[in-house]
Amino acid sequence: MDSNTVKIIIEIIHYLFFIYAFGAVLSYIILSVISAVETISYMKKNSFVNYKEIMSSTISPSISIIAPAYNENLNIVENVRSLLSNHYVNYDVVIVNDGSKDDSLERLIKAYDLVKIDYLVNQKIQTKPLRAGVFKSTNPAFEKLIVVDKQNGGKADALNMGLNISKSKYVACIDVDCLLLEDSLQKLVKPFLEATDNKIIAAGGVIRIANSCIIKDGKLLDINFPKKIIEQAQILEYLRSFLLGRMAWSKLNGLLVISGAFGMFDKKVAIEVGGYDTNTVGEDMEIIVRMRRFMEEKKEKYRVAYIPDPLCWTEAPDSYKILISQRNRWTRGTIETLKKHKKLAFNPKYHNLGLLSYPYWLIFERFAPIFEVIGFIYFGILIALNQVKWDYTLAFFILAYLFAVLFTITAIFSEELTYHQYKKKGTGFKLILMSFLEPIVFHGFILYAAVKGNIDYFFNKKKKWGAMERKGLVKTESI
Amino acid sequence: MSYLQDVFEYFDQLPLLIQIVWSVGFVLFQIILVLIIYLKILRTYLRRNEETVEKFQSEYEHLLINYLYTDSDSESSEQKEIINRLKVCVNNKFKRDIVVSILLKLRNEISGEMVDAIQKLYIDSGLVKYALIKLKSKNWYIVAKGIRELTQFKIKEAHDEVVIHLDHPKPEVSKEAQLYLISLFHFEELEYLKNVKSQLSEWDQIQLLEVLQKFDNQELPDITPLLMSENESVVSFALKLTKIYNLYDMKDELMILLTHESKEIRVQVIEILNHLYIIDAKSVLKTNFKNSSEDEQIAFINMLNNTFEVEDEPFLLENLHHTNFDIKLSVLKILKIINIDKFKSLKQKLTQPEFNQMIEFVENN
Repeated sequence: MDSNTVKIIIEIIHYLFFIYAFGAVLSYIILSVISAVETISYMKKNSFVNYKEIMSSTISPSISIIAPAYNENLNIVENVRSLLSNHYVNYDVVIVNDGSKDDSLERLIKAYDLVKIDYLVNQKIQTKPLRAGVFKSTNPAFEKLIVVDKQNGGKADALNMGLNISKSKYVACIDVDCLLLEDSLQKLVKPFLEATDNKIIAAGGVIRIANSCIIKDGKLLDINFPKKIIEQAQILEYLRSFLLGRMAWSKLNGLLVISGAFGMFDKKVAIEVGGYDTNTVGEDMEIIVRMRRFMEEKKEKYRVAYIPDPLCWTEAPDSYKILISQRNRWTRGTIETLKKHKKLAFNPKYHNLGLLSYPYWLIFERFAPIFEVIGFIYFGILIALNQVKWDYTLAFFILAYLFAVLFTITAIFSEELTYHQYKKKGTGFKLILMSFLEPIVFHGFILYAAVKGNIDYFFNKKKKWGAMERKGLVKTESI
Repeated sequence: MSYLQDVFEYFDQLPLLIQIVWSVGFVLFQIILVLIIYLKILRTYLRRNEETVEKFQSEYEHLLINYLYTDSDSESSEQKEIINRLKVCVNNKFKRDIVVSILLKLRNEISGEMVDAIQKLYIDSGLVKYALIKLKSKNWYIVAKGIRELTQFKIKEAHDEVVIHLDHPKPEVSKEAQLYLISLFHFEELEYLKNVKSQLSEWDQIQLLEVLQKFDNQELPDITPLLMSENESVVSFALKLTKIYNLYDMKDELMILLTHESKEIRVQVIEILNHLYIIDAKSVLKTNFKNSSEDEQIAFINMLNNTFEVEDEPFLLENLHHTNFDIKLSVLKILKIINIDKFKSLKQKLTQPEFNQMIEFVENN
């Protein structure tokens, strides 16, 4: 190759990077604008909604909360109490003890006066069989509770068992350790009940980070901004993702993921598509993509709804080891889902799903860490060859950094103008400070986890979930 | 100064692309600065606002409770003074919203004559005037809020102003107008549903039904026109009324609706036939069973669970090998009750694994 050819190749590489970065920035700006419009519209619509009638109405549709549990003996009794304290009238709670090796079941039996009942499970979705069986409480105060003890099969398998057991029209799948707000069910069921010209197949809402918050008797008492950088940075990440990204994708009817921590589904559709995929670590994204694909192929009008209300508070990783393990799994889940449904890519038959959502996820989610790493490697080579144009480098680096900061501050703004959850004096300063620090001190770990996720996906196929240690949310003593 | 000049000179000699990038970066930096300052102002404002709301809430609540608990047949001078004070403060939107929210809170907490006193206070203080002004707003959500307020304070006099919003292009507004009519004029205003062109969502229907069930007078007008409506959602709503109010007289209309073009309506009808124990429908449903959708079949088998007779045995045996789990299970359950010998003989015959668990379960329960 002569030097001219090399020069041309290098120019092409430069343009490719530029186009990719420009595309990403442009997409973020567009999503932010759409999200702002949609959030304003939602706030107006819901500023005078009366949830009381739905909450107390006996003709409101039934909802089953399905919560899989594995070795959760430390907090299971309290977590179940929190799930049972919802204000919605027509719901039940299905706890699926997924072959726990600890004494979760015994604790539940003791705390809720459970007895084994004769229950014939309709295996609409194949799952691992029951172990100890199905339990219900003899105490009328806990009549909404069903505990299912089955052999271990993983989270997806446990959720599928819950789908088989549920008798309700809608199912809310939740992580058992999540703190569900009392009005979350009526808020999340609203999109399903409001739709008249299309079918809502799934709905999700905002998940918040509960680290450092004060919780008592399953209720959130005081919202605090955590002290650790890793937790603070995740709060910003969640604000960006939930308030800017998902809201816009919902408006475009292109949402591909409902958080596994809390989401609601039309049970019939979820069962028709075969329930959760037990062969992926990204079952929450995969089921949404499959449900959407199913509806597209049936040529039925549908939507995946999203509401910006904070509905559920969860514990975020507070150590880099656990964080990396979690993000590694998210990356593998995304790769698996996109690979499984590659037929959708750029396929006009699937409308927005094939032409917008799937390509976006593929290019700006799936390939983002790969592009970034290639960029770093290429930059290293240029440094080694003394070919770096430092004036360009500095200008573009600062521009990218400022854009990242601006995007985060926009998310903080959105939060302040809507739900204003972090009210305490001094938190505003911490949020701003963290928005400047996050791209430098936190992003590297996320990138590392995503790269590791790619490596594990291709070279370590046996790797599944990875450990997620729970310390439990900050609680005060219950009276 | 010379330092700045150096910077400008350096900038001028940069390639155009770099100049653009620096310029954009500078703009972004300025936007960030402005946002940070504004964020500080916003957070301070929100915090102070909350404190002010708390302060006014406590002040007005005290005032309003004083008004309500003043023991006097006619309006006392103290009450008049309170009304005058309120008249002044409701000129301010911020204070007006606080007063309205306290009145609503008190209204939900008390009953009897006090409720009338609150309504009187709402009118005398001039708040009703502001609610009526909201109805003329160009913003749909303000109109909806105005109607909601008039509903909550039971201002029947606003009927004519509200009714024009029944066909509002925004469903949120038309829904509020519907709720106003039903909440204040009860069943007599159900007639409007005959002419409703838009679809009533499940959410709307539940809210309307909840409001209707709160009235003392539960005498329902003839809902035949609603059951025969061309609007599917109105039919669904009327079916819910039929079920809640046990309208057995609607039997003929229900039988007609068994052939409705919508599957959801047909399923709903079967569920209501079951609820009302209209066993005459069974023969029709049995005849149509094979050609029905699975949802209708399940609804009918659920009906049979409540209405089974010995004569149903041939039909049940015919459907013993149905592909649906719930139908098979129900068939076995009913067979066990109406003919235990037959059930026992089936136990010997049905050796397929799918039946083993089911038969064992039915035997034990």
